[in-house]
Amino acid sequence: MKRFFYHLARLTLALVFVYAGAVKMQDVVAFAGHVAAYQILPYAMNYLVASTLPYVEFLAGVMLLLNARVRPALLVIGAMTLVFMAALVSVLLRGMEIDCGCFDPGGGQDVTAGVALLRDIALMALVVLVWWLRSRLTAREE
Amino acid sequence: MFSDLKRIGLEACVLLAFGVLIGLSLNHKLLLDAFSGHLVSQPRQTAQESVPIALPMPALIDDVQQVAATGGLIVDARNPELYAAGHIDGAVSLPLVEIDAALPDFVARIDKDRTLVIYCSGFGCPDSFDLAVLLIESGYKDVRVFEGGFPEWRDAGLPVAGDVQ
Repeated sequence: MKRFFYHLARLTLALVFVYAGAVKMQDVVAFAGHVAAYQILPYAMNYLVASTLPYVEFLAGVMLLLNARVRPALLVIGAMTLVFMAALVSVLLRGMEIDCGCFDPGGGQDVTAGVALLRDIALMALVVLVWWLRSRLTAREE
Repeated sequence: MFSDLKRIGLEACVLLAFGVLIGLSLNHKLLLDAFSGHLVSQPRQTAQESVPIALPMPALIDDVQQVAATGGLIVDARNPELYAAGHIDGAVSLPLVEIDAALPDFVARIDKDRTLVIYCSGFGCPDSFDLAVLLIESGYKDVRVFEGGFPEWRDAGLPVAGDVQ
């Protein structure tokens, strides 16, 4: 039963990040615009983030999907999610109304910072759950 | 337990580095453009007074004389040795080769509204154009390039200064 939940949670998280990375890779410039909308980084840094973040998301998601190096991948995903949450909180505190730019940069549907923050909290819970289940499972095998 | 965490942290760093490297290598051209300032500005800057990055206007020898006569400034982009050997009368030296050291002082002394004419060693010499672009980026509103440069000025018999033989 534990094993079933582990794989379910792992695959869910994996698909979310593989998808998030893959759609943003398609249009790095548009994604850079979304990052710029947060008004946190200096001009050129937005492009640096936009040209690296999707690939890290994708790679970490693939590792989870393959069930390989699960905890390192979780660490990367958890750290990214924490950064996203911090950025979203800063947007909320500044009362800005921007699209979170979490997924499809060209998509029409805007997701507000509040909704995105709730979603990130759920993702964070999944990260913790997968980590915990993974530790329990490997502990029993060893 | 502790060494386990250390290993996981290390592998996470490797994973992160891989992702960043892939991203950097696939987007290096875009990044070079962004960091050299070739891309259009982000929305935030349009709210302020928008200063479009313009290219310098060309100036003919008559324009140079007119600008000098009406309070503009002639700027020599060549290296200090050439400036010392001979330059357009009234021109100030702002060598492109020492621009990092010289620009802050220049910007502090010269009003941004003043018309600037930049020259170097004549046609085929890119320094005047490059310096003009830098000055426009520094906020100067009217920057022109005298492409004929020092040779044309001298050969026209116009006033020069320095140790001219």
